[in-house]
Amino acid sequence: MFLEFVEGPLWYFSAVVFVVGVLWRLVDIWRQPSRTDLAVPRGSGVPGALRTIVTRSWTAKGFSRGATFHLVAGYMFHIGLFVLLIFAAPHVKFIEERILGFGWTPAPHWLFMVASDLAFAGILLLWLRRLMHPVMRKISTFDDHAAAILTFVVMLTGCLALLKSHDSLRAIHMLTVCLLMVYFPFSRLMHAFTFPVSRAYTGAAMGRKGVSA
Amino acid sequence: MMPTVQTEHDFERGVEVLRAQIDKKIASYFSSCVHCGLCAEACLFYTETGDARFTPIYKVEPMRRLWQREKTFWGKLGAGLGMLPEVTEDDFAEWQEMTYDSCTLCGRCSMVCPVGNDIAYMIRKQREAFAAAGYSPEGLQGATRRALEIGSPMGLTLKALEAQIGHVEEETGLEVPMDKQGADYMALLSSMEVINFPEYIESLVRIFDAAGVSWTFSRKAFEATNSGIQIGDSKIAAELVSRVVNAAEELGVKYVISPECGHAYTAIRWDGPNLIKRPYKFEVVHILELLDQLRAEGRLRTEGIETERLTFHDPCQIVRRGGVLEPPRNLMRMVAPDYAEMGDHGKMNWCCGGGGGVSANEEAEELRLKAFKRKKRQLEELNVEGLVTACANCRIVIEEGLEHYGMDIHVTGLTELLAKHLAPPKGKAEGG
Amino acid sequence: MTDHPSRPAIPSEPRQHGVPPRVRARITRYLLALLAFVLIAPLVPYAAAYLGAGNVPNPGAGLWNEVRQRAGPADANTQARGVESAVLINQVGERWRQFRSEMLVPVGAWLLLGTLGFLALFRILRGRIPLEGGRSGQLVPRFSVNQRVVHWFAAILFVFLAVTGLVLLYGRFVLIPILGPEGFSATAAACKEGHNLFGPIFPFAVLAMIVLFLRGNGFNQIDLKWFFRAGGLLKGHPASSGYYNGGQKSWFWMVVLFGIAISISGLILDFGVFGQGREVMALAHVVHGGVAVVFIAASLGHIYIGTVGMEGAFESMSHGYVDANWAREHHDLWLAEMEAAGMVGVEPNALEEVKRHDNIDFKGFGSPGTKAVQG
Repeated sequence: MFLEFVEGPLWYFSAVVFVVGVLWRLVDIWRQPSRTDLAVPRGSGVPGALRTIVTRSWTAKGFSRGATFHLVAGYMFHIGLFVLLIFAAPHVKFIEERILGFGWTPAPHWLFMVASDLAFAGILLLWLRRLMHPVMRKISTFDDHAAAILTFVVMLTGCLALLKSHDSLRAIHMLTVCLLMVYFPFSRLMHAFTFPVSRAYTGAAMGRKGVSA
Repeated sequence: MMPTVQTEHDFERGVEVLRAQIDKKIASYFSSCVHCGLCAEACLFYTETGDARFTPIYKVEPMRRLWQREKTFWGKLGAGLGMLPEVTEDDFAEWQEMTYDSCTLCGRCSMVCPVGNDIAYMIRKQREAFAAAGYSPEGLQGATRRALEIGSPMGLTLKALEAQIGHVEEETGLEVPMDKQGADYMALLSSMEVINFPEYIESLVRIFDAAGVSWTFSRKAFEATNSGIQIGDSKIAAELVSRVVNAAEELGVKYVISPECGHAYTAIRWDGPNLIKRPYKFEVVHILELLDQLRAEGRLRTEGIETERLTFHDPCQIVRRGGVLEPPRNLMRMVAPDYAEMGDHGKMNWCCGGGGGVSANEEAEELRLKAFKRKKRQLEELNVEGLVTACANCRIVIEEGLEHYGMDIHVTGLTELLAKHLAPPKGKAEGG
Repeated sequence: MTDHPSRPAIPSEPRQHGVPPRVRARITRYLLALLAFVLIAPLVPYAAAYLGAGNVPNPGAGLWNEVRQRAGPADANTQARGVESAVLINQVGERWRQFRSEMLVPVGAWLLLGTLGFLALFRILRGRIPLEGGRSGQLVPRFSVNQRVVHWFAAILFVFLAVTGLVLLYGRFVLIPILGPEGFSATAAACKEGHNLFGPIFPFAVLAMIVLFLRGNGFNQIDLKWFFRAGGLLKGHPASSGYYNGGQKSWFWMVVLFGIAISISGLILDFGVFGQGREVMALAHVVHGGVAVVFIAASLGHIYIGTVGMEGAFESMSHGYVDANWAREHHDLWLAEMEAAGMVGVEPNALEEVKRHDNIDFKGFGSPGTKAVQG
């Protein structure tokens, strides 16, 4: 009964909010004013933008020492989460049945274990650093904590429902997923969609100056 | 009408200007920032003080608050319910230090942000609002006023320049071309060079003579630095740029040469056309670009090499933010083939700590000297006897820092170093 | 035996098959009698034995001894390829079951409740251990960012694993009355998955703890005196100690030893795909359960004294700084080192100092003060 509600109307509502919200946020960025650069460029902006979209996935030369924690915990979390989201067997099944109409080979159990452990360890470490490091304490806002905790709760309820034996556990996971999807477009989680935009703007500006950023 | 420097506090206007600064980039940057704090590790004001307030992204917190309140759903909702704090005048007062004293706009943070935010750009934008609200350092206000009224942030007059040029003509026995109509190049200077390092002018004269460059100074516009950009007032910046542009276009030169000074290059090369809202009728080259071109063409020839152990300090605005990456290294190798590179050199070099108007800001002096510890450490690792750079401001800041910490390293400009080793002309006919 | 006679499924139309009903009934009776004989026949030897047929040895004994492998490995062979597929009845399982229900569950419960009772008693008798000298307002850096992150990382995992583990051990006694069988079933399923999924992270947390907290945790004579005075916990005069006192060092080594034991046994239980048999699994479980209960009981003491039990202790692990008076009262020798190093009364959250904290050793070895001053 409850499961039917969260997997039915609530799911559709959340999905609509998510999709419309994300699009609206992207359009809203695009709606802001901008000016074309009148300076004679040294290099072209487009390759600069593309280059920066790729190269910002690792640290600048000589900068890895200050960024070790970010690199390790950040990649643990993001890779783990990506594998969980796209390749966990129940997710593949859900995507096939409810969204796309086709599926793919899900991750084997051992890979699922590795991915979820990486993701859990990563998000815990990142969030604890947010709580402990003076810089992180200074710059963190309510939204940073809310996003971290909500994502963690979604992951946790998901892994608790792994036995697939109880509808109640599945319903709790779906409920938190819906919450996350509704929260997503209005939060820091939007970085999942806007980071290439930001990288492209900076990469293009620097590319025009002839600097690979 | 000539723009003026805002010295009285006008908070309302500041907020209005701050709102107007939010463009596509800013909106995207704030949407992407996950407050990971990595930018702190790139900023020498943070790494040398440990003060979390100097985390680059925290420096634009007033702008973020305004963006959140007025451009985001939760922000609008929270603001409507009175749950989000407004941007207050106290914020402006508190953030003046973070906006001016602790940022040289060196852009190192912009190179490391994982989501690609150009934080230096954001701070530059926030300065527009702070300058409009009158929450800018007195030192910068004074420099900007002098630049507007006298034509130089250091109060240097044309008379003083002409006197220096007279000395140079005596020293070199060469004529310094002034207001020469139809010359190829119009050279600019920074006041710092005229007052503290007139060797730069002498070097230019000798190198250009040897290389047979057709060039001139303009009596109407010789000052290349732009305090309007440092304080963050686009109207003033446009006024200062347009003086140079008008002079150059009157003389009908093909190129304008930016002096070694870093911010001058950013101002005239990259920001200028956007400030006056039209492209130039001439091209802008940095002196190092020109020298490197002369080197490649065989017109700049040197003899002998430096026996001292040297290193090169990359001025942020010329290298990282300006894109003049290879020329300084090509030129260095001509006279110091074995010069030592600092740990983070090139586009990731650490700032001297005095760019972006910080050196003109007396309130920031203590902080600047603290931040210099980074350069100090870099130099100690190399154990060099001399440092070469290509920015008069870097040069004076580094000299002061070295003196403060009792370090025995002498500082020189790259153009000057090249002039020192200039080979005697083989005969003008060949060069012509 | 309740074998009911077969009823004619379709009462009418019997003639169609050509067998008269009387003949059918007779055949049925014969068949039933035959069935009864077949079923009863094997019971005859037992009946005979029961009726006192004398000294006839139990003919099944040898067989069953063989099946249960009482005398050692069986000669049983099977075509099935798998771990222990030649084992018909596992002896160890019964012993493990007995250990779990008769030792682990009751003794563990007494241990945990006893610890709670002891802490309650300690609280009543000793009260909250106060800062005798009040707060000085001077801060001394104690734990670095990395140490605190790793501590809380391990702590969160520990609490999660302890709670889910205890649900699996005691849930049927404690939770079924509250949640009902349905609710407990879901809870147990969730806890089992959660425990198995989070478990493999714990070894890494233990490893990180060892790396970041090992320094300064070696025992020395000062600790002997500290133990001799029961850490000064009972009276108002704390015993002298350096960066860590005897109790803290004991807890650290407990974390190391228990952590390693519980990690290895847990991994054996969690990943049953490496050919380990039931005997190994049962043994691993005995270790896992036994160590876990002691570990959790000990952690209760650590949690109590680190939070509500002692004024000024928690902030060392939350903000990383302690009040100079707290250091004086509980770690006097360390405070002296820190004073010599000029690290008392520092500006909080100044990175320069945090970095010194990470890089420079002032944690109870040698004369660290000089190093810190140089930094």
